Amino acid sequence: MSTAIVAAFREGLERGELLIQKCAECRKLNMYPRYACPFCQSENLHWQRSTGRGRLHSFTVLRMGAPEGFEADLPYALGVIKLEEGVQLLARLLPDAAGDWGSYVCDQAVELAAPPTTQPQYRPCAWFRRSNVSR
Amino acid sequence: MSESGPVKIGKGSPEDPVFVGVGELPSGRYPQRSFIGDLTLVALRALKDAQMAPRDVDTIILIPNLHSFNDQADLIFSRLVEELGLNGHAKASFMVHSGGSTSDNAVRVASGLIASGHARTVLVLQCERWGSANLAEMVTMLSKNGIPGEWELPTGLQFNAIGALITRRYMHASRSSPSDMAAMCVALRQWAQLNPNAMYKGKSLTVEQVLASRMIADPLHAMECPMLADGAAAFVMTSAQNAAKRGIRATVRIAGSGGCVSHYSIGQEADLAVLGWPTAAKRAYEQSAWGPKDADFAEIYDSYAAVTAIAVEGLGLAEGGEGARWFAKNSTPGGKFPCNTNGGLLSAGHTGVGGGMALLIEGVRQLLWRAESERQINGCERCIVGGTGGSYMDAQVLLLERVASGVSA
Repeated sequence: MSTAIVAAFREGLERGELLIQKCAECRKLNMYPRYACPFCQSENLHWQRSTGRGRLHSFTVLRMGAPEGFEADLPYALGVIKLEEGVQLLARLLPDAAGDWGSYVCDQAVELAAPPTTQPQYRPCAWFRRSNVSR
Repeated sequence: MSESGPVKIGKGSPEDPVFVGVGELPSGRYPQRSFIGDLTLVALRALKDAQMAPRDVDTIILIPNLHSFNDQADLIFSRLVEELGLNGHAKASFMVHSGGSTSDNAVRVASGLIASGHARTVLVLQCERWGSANLAEMVTMLSKNGIPGEWELPTGLQFNAIGALITRRYMHASRSSPSDMAAMCVALRQWAQLNPNAMYKGKSLTVEQVLASRMIADPLHAMECPMLADGAAAFVMTSAQNAAKRGIRATVRIAGSGGCVSHYSIGQEADLAVLGWPTAAKRAYEQSAWGPKDADFAEIYDSYAAVTAIAVEGLGLAEGGEGARWFAKNSTPGGKFPCNTNGGLLSAGHTGVGGGMALLIEGVRQLLWRAESERQINGCERCIVGGTGGSYMDAQVLLLERVASGVSA
């Protein structure tokens, strides 16, 4: 069960899609994916593709002290994204044109992006960047 | 679901659970000290403070360590019973665990056991060996535990990044400057100068030094991150009736408690600048009929300054958005509302699950009027204790009050 949920979510990421779990009974969205709907306890759960649009609730740039296996990724940025569908997640942020994250600010519009090709290894997580359209 | 119902065991009840003694060993790097040795010594200090001997204890509650699973197993399987000579005498020895808020939950467990008659006298104790442990191993451990493996581990999240996400959002929401945040660290360092058990006693700190230190996880500088430390702490609780029978004149009771578990994953917290504090505070105040104005001082978890700034706002001590500036202005030694009088985790040392324990026993020690004279808050009667664990998953509030002469207060 665990494998199926995680595999479906990660396969979506590999296709460039961010999947949100949707309860077939109460129609509510779950993020992160669950084994039973936390709202109505149904186990009849499906997937919905996110628009990939949201706002940056908070973010940080980790510059030292990476977890084991992430040393070569430094520096890298993490952000809490509030999706327009009303659910949220932790994701990586692409660097801006200056190669850092100095232009990011809380509450700005962000959108799902492809992982950068410069990353030392593929990570099964979502990536976001600043939206071109200012809203 | 609310815990606002009246406390059935009230002030003056014979069954009212009370603190009667605390013990602590200095925090810092002490490679020559041992885990079981420190636990034994700190237990004896707390018992001596309570005018008791090990055989007065019938129940032991263990606070976990994070440095070693083997040491953890020693605790779980009752080693302290044997070390303290309580073989055949102890009724129960077990562990409670909720990360940084463990000490608050241990108080609730001990209180329930005492009030219901399932325990007479409870010894709660903790030791951590973080300061002497292999730093790389500890960083790896902290980066793998308490983070959802399926959803957040692949991002490269770790503990300083969690503190930074909270700090960034708090600074944005409150318009607090880097200097405002650094000033909280300086206030804590001032308290540490008055605490012989603090890791950073004898080491001064300025806002300029904090801001000049290396950026670790924007916006957190190195000197805004907690230093892992060795440390040990213990406390003893019994019923008001038993304390009186033993001639103990000063005790500390729990006027109320409130908690709120707001999330597990940092990515699922609805507002990183608020967390569970307003809800936890409301529940505690309703249970006790206290308000923030009734407290003389507070001891609130501070692994990062923003965590405490958010808490003092949620507790109603500071106006919304003013937590960091309020703390730096009012909570220093000699200030209007002392906070984290031991120097907090940031300046007394981060002893893992023990960080909250050190703050809790400092609150009890102040209320028993047993702190060293230069940091004792004169005549203090009421203290707010705030704890939080994991990815700041919960907010726990204990409202403690001094009772002056046993049962009849």
